[in-house]
Amino acid sequence: MIRTEHLCKSYSHSSQYEIRAIYDINVTIPKNSFVVFNGPSGSGKTTLLNIMGTLDRPTAGKVFLYGEEITPFSDIALARLRREKIGFIFQDFHLIPRLTSWENVAYPLVPRGIGYKERFERARLLLEKMGLGDRLDHTSEELSGGQQQRVAIARALINNPEIIIADEPTSNIDEETSVQIRELLDELKVRGVTILVATHDAMFEKVADVVFKMKNGRIE
Amino acid sequence: MNRHLNLLFLATENLLRHKAKTVVVCLCLIAILSPFITAIAISEGVREQSLISVNAGADLYLTYDEFGRNSAIPLKYLDEIKKIFGVTKAIPRIIGRGFLQNKLAVIVGIDKEDLPVSVSCISGRIFDNANEVVVGHELAKHFRLNLGDQFSMRCQQRKVFTVVGFFSSDSSIWGASMIFMSFRDAGELFGKQDVATDIQIYTLPGHNSEIATDVYDIFQHEAYRLQDKQMVELYVKKGFMLKEGIFSALYVVSFALGVPAILVASGFGLSERKREIGIMKATGWQTLEVLELISMEQLLISFLGATIAIVLSILWVKGFNGTFIAQFFIAEITMLPKFTLPARFLPLPCLLSFFFAFLLTMVGSVYSSWRASTTSPVVLMK
Ligand SMILES: Nc1ncnc2c1ncn2[C@@H]1O[C@H](COP(=O)(O)OP(=O)(O)OP(=O)(O)O)[C@@H](O)[C@H]1O
Ligand SMILES: [Mg+2]
Repeated sequence: MIRTEHLCKSYSHSSQYEIRAIYDINVTIPKNSFVVFNGPSGSGKTTLLNIMGTLDRPTAGKVFLYGEEITPFSDIALARLRREKIGFIFQDFHLIPRLTSWENVAYPLVPRGIGYKERFERARLLLEKMGLGDRLDHTSEELSGGQQQRVAIARALINNPEIIIADEPTSNIDEETSVQIRELLDELKVRGVTILVATHDAMFEKVADVVFKMKNGRIE
Repeated sequence: MNRHLNLLFLATENLLRHKAKTVVVCLCLIAILSPFITAIAISEGVREQSLISVNAGADLYLTYDEFGRNSAIPLKYLDEIKKIFGVTKAIPRIIGRGFLQNKLAVIVGIDKEDLPVSVSCISGRIFDNANEVVVGHELAKHFRLNLGDQFSMRCQQRKVFTVVGFFSSDSSIWGASMIFMSFRDAGELFGKQDVATDIQIYTLPGHNSEIATDVYDIFQHEAYRLQDKQMVELYVKKGFMLKEGIFSALYVVSFALGVPAILVASGFGLSERKREIGIMKATGWQTLEVLELISMEQLLISFLGATIAIVLSILWVKGFNGTFIAQFFIAEITMLPKFTLPARFLPLPCLLSFFFAFLLTMVGSVYSSWRASTTSPVVLMK
């Protein structure tokens, strides 16, 4: 489903040398699998996930999605791809400040022309599933870290994505919520979603189908 | 369609969510637009007033020319002028200024039957006998004059006038401070016999150039000046717009301060905005949709700012009679009795100020937003 060929990303730091965030990555991720990327800080996990999730472009190499090479896609085509197929969960939640939970969850539906009522209903359903049925009208400033992350997960699910990309989803929250989130992701996998997680959390390896160990921008 | 509506509602919510910024941008817009709208309204009003007074007036104006200025014209040629073919009426007038106590008033001396139609009495009657006057309503109000009251002007204390009527006029600047009296009384008041400040000549259409030739024959050895309606109109307007240049200069200064303020204010919270755009793009918003949302925000805020500015201008003119700003348009306003400031709020300048506001806010926000919405979301969310 997702395949990379000789994927590289480097940042030119000064004219003398460049930082290779990832180098020559070749992975194949089958549909409906639970994949975990593991490795020390700075090993390139975030960089790789961002590129596979179309948030960033590689310096060299190719990314294939459903057998089609998406590297040359325009920004517009990539944004459409994200809207239709990919949901993101970030380490520091990235909720929009001063919006309520349900507004944050429903935000991706606004430019799709979906009316207020339906947006609210869909957001409410998802938030209830996340155990936040009583927090619909709280702004992100009024939520704990774990609650914020669950709002972010609901937002990632609002467009019914086929792929969920989670970059260290549990590293900023307590153990109890982490367990919840792992179970949630596992449940999503059961429902046919492909899941990519970058994490230090060893517990994820128990639910993963495949674990890629990364070091210095390479997969070992 | 739904999509655009959604974006419009979201734009409204965003303005409410960023209240401080919205208020600051609005204030800047108002500071820039209000004087502009007020100034245009006043100058339009003055233009209209002068047009009314000129249109109601004569076709030709005849005066002497001294030192390049209009000066008094003797009456000895009046009968000859009346005989020129094409002249229907020739009316001598005295128009002067004099102090009534501490207020400067415009004195018009004209025979009763020659009074312009635009002057209509509101109470009392037209002057009939010697030393009877009709007084403009603002002046009457200022001195609390009643019918039958008597007064004298500072320049000729021994001449005592009796108020027989009060009038209003379409042309409020003029009418408010005027005192109408007979031609003879005015001559006595200013101590000048057998001269008029000008002779108004009414003509049959299409005869002006022949009349001009005949007038030349009469006055060939004198320095005289014959002006037609258009020239008088220009002259009147010039008198009013005397200080427009000063106003423009001041406006440019306030403008030069206001525009950067708006640009800065529009850029407030840019880093938060950037992050927001990054999140939006990561969750599937298209660049165009982000830009549409931001443009709608600017549209709404310009609409809000321009509307408030227009309302404030109307208040400024109608409620405070253009305090501070009017003096740039009406040269001797401090020397005139109080009068209702003429002002006209036309749709075009209002529309223009709205577009102008939109342009300003767009310049302040769109470039940075466009940059943001075309850079990679990863960079924005950092
Ligand atoms: N914008 C950037 N400019 C320069 N170097 C960068 C940039 N982004 C990442 N890097 C470098 O790329 C390398 C990989 O970074 P990345 O964030 O992918 O690591 P990571 O595995 O996600 O680390 P962590 O576990 O701490 O999140 C690091 O050495 C980092 O310094
Ligand atoms: Mg990382």
